[in-house]
Amino acid sequence: MELNNIEKSNKPAKVLVMRALFCAVLLLMTPGITIAADNRHAAEALLKDKLDSVILILQSKNLDIQGKRNEINNIVTPMFDFSLMAKLTLGRKYWPGLTKEQKGRFTVLFIDLLKDTCLEKISLYTNEKVVYQGTVKIKNKVHVETDLISGNSTISMLFKFFKSSNGWKVYDLEIEGVSLIKTYRSQFDEVLRKGTIDDLLLRLEKPEKN
Amino acid sequence: MKKAILLIVIAFTLALLILSGCAHKTVKTVSPSLYGTVDATPIQSQDESPSTVTPSEAEDMGDVFSEIEDEFEEQSLKVADPLESLNRAVFYFNDKLYFWVLKPLAQGYNFVFPDFARKGVRKFFRNLLTPIRLTNCILQGNATAAGTEFVRFVTNTTIGILGVWDPALDLYDLKISDEDLGQTLGVYGFGNGFYIEWPVIGPCTLRDTVGRIGDWFLYPVNYIEPQEASLAVWSFDKVNKTSFRIGDYEAIKKTAIDPYTAIRDGYIQYRNALIKE
Repeated sequence: MELNNIEKSNKPAKVLVMRALFCAVLLLMTPGITIAADNRHAAEALLKDKLDSVILILQSKNLDIQGKRNEINNIVTPMFDFSLMAKLTLGRKYWPGLTKEQKGRFTVLFIDLLKDTCLEKISLYTNEKVVYQGTVKIKNKVHVETDLISGNSTISMLFKFFKSSNGWKVYDLEIEGVSLIKTYRSQFDEVLRKGTIDDLLLRLEKPEKN
Repeated sequence: MKKAILLIVIAFTLALLILSGCAHKTVKTVSPSLYGTVDATPIQSQDESPSTVTPSEAEDMGDVFSEIEDEFEEQSLKVADPLESLNRAVFYFNDKLYFWVLKPLAQGYNFVFPDFARKGVRKFFRNLLTPIRLTNCILQGNATAAGTEFVRFVTNTTIGILGVWDPALDLYDLKISDEDLGQTLGVYGFGNGFYIEWPVIGPCTLRDTVGRIGDWFLYPVNYIEPQEASLAVWSFDKVNKTSFRIGDYEAIKKTAIDPYTAIRDGYIQYRNALIKE
């Protein structure tokens, strides 16, 4: 195409080649730009979007606490990779030793517990503000640091994302430096060092027994 | 007499701290190579999404899992707990103390006193902690934070009417620097030693115990005479503080499988994060 143009037109060939090159460079750059933007800020943008919706729900006066919990659950769930989180709480040390059936049961029970943890307190908040403190990228992971401001107190929350084929997913959440996954890891380790996986599953089913 | 006992306690804890080697106890839970064979099958689990994947499919050890698992293995910094059975007994005691005494007191207090009064009390006691924070900012070589603490104290004690109001924060955005001697020792490179659950006070480590004893001398409430009055003021502060946190402990307990371990490890992680700041 460009070659034809060069032959037909009166313009100096050099200009046309330059133009072609310019177009080519532009074309090459576009995906580059989107990839860069994707890596750096997509996770933060996703988080912002989700948290804004959550705050809207929290402020709404038409919903009772149970209604709020359900709505928040629907908004937030797609952002988390719960089955990965379940695996991480057992880690290399224990996860491979589970049977397929145990893995399934553990994952279901753990997700229930985790959702309880996250939704327990959040639905009681009403007038909170989230301040974004910055994003750190570590290989395929992005850590978004936020401050939850509630009245006079500030709670730091670190959302840890990894890049999955379905976009950014949260694999851990740190509140005031305390990691959800780490805290469960040491508890499960404690139970499994003294007992079996069945003991752990039983305790996950009936946590109030302890 | 009182002084002699205190000195003995300090000498004893210092001796323990030295004996324990003061070092971090890094326990790498598992060496990855031990379980390396298990990693041979996987690779595909990258495209699992929580919305579509049923839990039973989530059994592969994918690349993502390995990478993130490494992160948690590297960071697994466990605290030694040689007194675990004793600590668990004290934890049980503190648990009952909270549910049977502290919580009902705080609830009653909450009911009688309006929000602004409780907040004023909280700020008043926070202002009294300035000598501890200021000293430790200096000990950590942080002149800016020390200066801020000084200005905060002067402003809040005068304009803020003995500290019940916080104009330094509200008007000048001067933020508190929550430093204590335990953190200072951490900054100097002292490890946690081992975990101790104290009656009433709760989660602590050997290092933080030494820190608390040091800070004790800088807290004006401890100089109130007679000692009963000092204790009464201390208890009032504790009840007031608790009145803001009703439900927090319950939430942790409800979502924990082993509340003792959850709180012990949460405390260590929280303190480590504070020291890093």
